[in-house]
Amino acid sequence: MNHRLRAGATTAALYAIAIPISLAFLYPYWWMCLGMFRNARQVLGDPLRLWPEQFDLSAFAEIARVGGVDLWVYAFNSFAITTASTALGIAITAMGAYALCRQPDLPGFRWLRFGFLLTIMYPYMLLVIPVYIVVFKLGLLGSYAGIVLFLALGPIQFFLFDRFFRTLPREVIEAGICDGASEAQILFRIILPMAKPVLATVALITFLINWSQWFPILVISRSPDTFTLPVALLSMNGELGASFRAIMALAFVTTLPVAIAFVLAQRRVMEGMAAGAVKG
Amino acid sequence: MRLAQFLGAAAVAAAAALAGPGAVKAQQLVIWHDLGDNGVAWFERAGAEFAKTKPGVSVRSISYPTDQWFGRVISAINTNTAPDLIFNNYERVIRIQTQTKKVMDLRATLNQVADKGFLSEDDLRVATFDNAMIILPVQRVQMAFGMRQSWLTKTGETFPQSWDDVKRIAAKFRDNDPDGNGRADTFGLALQAAKPRDLVHMLDLFTFGSGLRHTLIDPQGQITIDRPEHAQVLEEFLKTYSQYKFVAPDTINHSFNEMYQVILGGRGGMFRVGDWNVRGWDGANALNGDFVSGPWPAFGGRPNSVVIGGMRGVAVPDNSPNKALALEFAKFLLGKEAQQASLELVGAAVRKDLNVDALSPRQQFFARANHRLAAYDFPESVHTFYPELEAAFHRKLLAGIANPPADWKPFIAETAREMRELAAKLKN
Amino acid sequence: MALAATIDLAWRNRVFYLFAAPFAALTAVFGLWPIALSIQVSFTASGTALSAAPSYVGLANYATVLADPLFLASMARTLLYTALAVVANLAFALAMAMLIDSPRLKTGTMFFRLALFLPVVTPDVAGYVVWRWLFDRSFGSINAALGSLGLPEFGGIASVDTVTTAILIAELWHHAGFYMTIFLANLAMRDRALEEAAAIDGASAWQTWRHVILPQLRPAIVVNLVYATIQFLKTFTVVVVMTKGGPADRTNFVSYYAYQLFDQARYGEATAMATILFACVIALSLGAFKLVDREAAR
Repeated sequence: MNHRLRAGATTAALYAIAIPISLAFLYPYWWMCLGMFRNARQVLGDPLRLWPEQFDLSAFAEIARVGGVDLWVYAFNSFAITTASTALGIAITAMGAYALCRQPDLPGFRWLRFGFLLTIMYPYMLLVIPVYIVVFKLGLLGSYAGIVLFLALGPIQFFLFDRFFRTLPREVIEAGICDGASEAQILFRIILPMAKPVLATVALITFLINWSQWFPILVISRSPDTFTLPVALLSMNGELGASFRAIMALAFVTTLPVAIAFVLAQRRVMEGMAAGAVKG
Repeated sequence: MRLAQFLGAAAVAAAAALAGPGAVKAQQLVIWHDLGDNGVAWFERAGAEFAKTKPGVSVRSISYPTDQWFGRVISAINTNTAPDLIFNNYERVIRIQTQTKKVMDLRATLNQVADKGFLSEDDLRVATFDNAMIILPVQRVQMAFGMRQSWLTKTGETFPQSWDDVKRIAAKFRDNDPDGNGRADTFGLALQAAKPRDLVHMLDLFTFGSGLRHTLIDPQGQITIDRPEHAQVLEEFLKTYSQYKFVAPDTINHSFNEMYQVILGGRGGMFRVGDWNVRGWDGANALNGDFVSGPWPAFGGRPNSVVIGGMRGVAVPDNSPNKALALEFAKFLLGKEAQQASLELVGAAVRKDLNVDALSPRQQFFARANHRLAAYDFPESVHTFYPELEAAFHRKLLAGIANPPADWKPFIAETAREMRELAAKLKN
Repeated sequence: MALAATIDLAWRNRVFYLFAAPFAALTAVFGLWPIALSIQVSFTASGTALSAAPSYVGLANYATVLADPLFLASMARTLLYTALAVVANLAFALAMAMLIDSPRLKTGTMFFRLALFLPVVTPDVAGYVVWRWLFDRSFGSINAALGSLGLPEFGGIASVDTVTTAILIAELWHHAGFYMTIFLANLAMRDRALEEAAAIDGASAWQTWRHVILPQLRPAIVVNLVYATIQFLKTFTVVVVMTKGGPADRTNFVSYYAYQLFDQARYGEATAMATILFACVIALSLGAFKLVDREAAR
């Protein structure tokens, strides 16, 4: 009896820690949602309020057009660019990671792996001008192609595939070789079908990550026609001031799709993300 | 690569199809600015007027956040991917010119304009750098001292003239619950300090508005801050952020956005009003017109004034893709239609023959400009090292504000000495 | 001979080069090329850095930067902040992972995971704009809540004493869910039989955790360490949105300090700083990668 009481108390204590922390993590979202309906005066005057004074939707009228471009164009760009860069990135990274895992000792492959790791270590915010020059020299300034190609590579995708290919049983490949399959057949007919769950996971994670990218898009674009939602959000923060509720409304619009995607597929995302990072 | 090109092309095609026929005009002028949605609306209207005289021509304006605007313009001009025109404050165009040496001299262009009597000698001098006219001045930027009208009424005050008036009113604004919400959550002033330009810009306004000519350094390269009349303004300015507790403690992290939230949120009673702010602040969701503008506070009995923050103007890169047409549009921006649109949508213009009757009383204050005006000095056009000096000055002042000395006079003397040493070093 | 053998080896495996070619091309063009250009700028005089014919000044920019006491202070601050942030994030993430993994929590674990992971996929600009106002001393909800509970005021980002804590909290909110998830995955893979054996041997809960569970978490700890080190050495967005390096330079980390020099057109020095920071990231994370490889080899 005493033992069960103690166990109950421990459980209660654990919930007493987990619930407030979770709510604290969600509180900024709630504040953001309130901010869409409240004006600056109400937000600064009564910050603790948990329910808006009014459901004023005028913020959405304010963001219907940002920087001379309709909101739906940004939303369309977000979906188009994120989808295209995710698809392309997965195709390229899967093949690249597979080659690097199957034959890590081929001449140049160690350098390739090292070079790739280097690219994630440079302080990206200082690359504004070089990235612009590179994309210009490729003739891709202001094009969707330039943005999509730039976003295609990312560390998480690579690590996820790397991890998966490393854990593949060698027998699978050897069986393929015995059956006389070519390397291309082994990859496309045997390995990739096996990797379907991983591909789905990587797709989802890449989508979520590319969705919130803004830096390359701002640099490569030549006009707001190719801006995505986060870039539009960023460019609202100009020197001439922006309405607080409009910023919150746009932040909400920017966050909502990823939040929905995440809630729908949370288990897969989290397990996949972790699998990619934990090697061995 | 094929896949990417295909996806890219497909997306471009889809966007073009959805964007409608406007995107495929025969000749399009592109102009980069940082005026936000007001500026976009202005260029849209001016472009539509321009198209009436030049059929088939369209104008597309793109607004970048100010710090992005620099990097974009410089890299675009250096890679020959420049826009047709750029638009910004004069001192920012100077930075572009010093970095690229590719901003066109517009003297010949201005000579072709017959109707330009409204541009004074001062205006033209401001537009000239290194013997070249790098901008056509299109908007005279005015910045006034402003405050909540209802708070003045509530505290039984009228618009302050001297700094002592301001101090008295600031204390009342802070302590007497001027918004009547029953909470002590108001501050005397809403200022900013986060970035070098933020803090020094605020000091500039108090300095020029009180009749002094140079905030930190004069054209001969002498540091001015410890001259008695300057030191007085600087000391009071620093106390405003510290001992006086006239501003919210977070002000040291406030940049434009945060400052605007404090103003629009009705927490700070006195603030800067730029002519471009008025249209937005008249709105029901903003201040609903509950503010009044006037000259900056007077110090030491000198006459006080509203500050002219120089000129915003249009510049044409040497490698502008449609140069002839770009120059036509630059001239067009001085014409009556474009100027009227500028006044209504951005809040500033240079012509004096515009119709101001339809404007609100707050807008008319700036449009009629029946007040004393004091001009900015633009040290960056004389001293190329000025931004670095200013950054060091800002760092020093913020350190002082974060840890305020009991007596500011030795602090100011020490700052002046350090600035002299740094200026001497940077000159070489 | 060796060259011929190498070429022969490569030719026999040409299909793998074909697989890797697009990946290699993108890495080289969009990854390494801009970095090389940026490093090139660090050897040029700022005034000519972006012109058609830049003038090269050798290591002058590096000498200037390394003689700049502000840069050295900024570097020290960056390293200190990185250490603090890595420890705080990993400790919090590990604690939350243990909590959520606890068999006592039966319902609600998905909710807890969601709450902690959602910030990871939220655009950072949006998140930090909100935190900026939550922390505000005069108008923020954190101080309002503390005040209504009768607790002392929190200086937030306005005070030199609390600003590091404040941005640490905001960054923890944004990043900790990621690290927690990795710990959770590692916890799910552990050998539970070892714990049962420990229980039979009469080990206390603490002893079991310390000597049985924690050693099995080494892969996750090492990976998190590498990620977090790279992440926090480059701390940038939170500073841009919330503090602009202030107050009194307390959050003026190297990446932001260098970025500010762009504003003053000091491109040579800014890229020299970037290169130095880059070298630090490589050095620190290479050390950690070595650990990862050792783990993987086990």
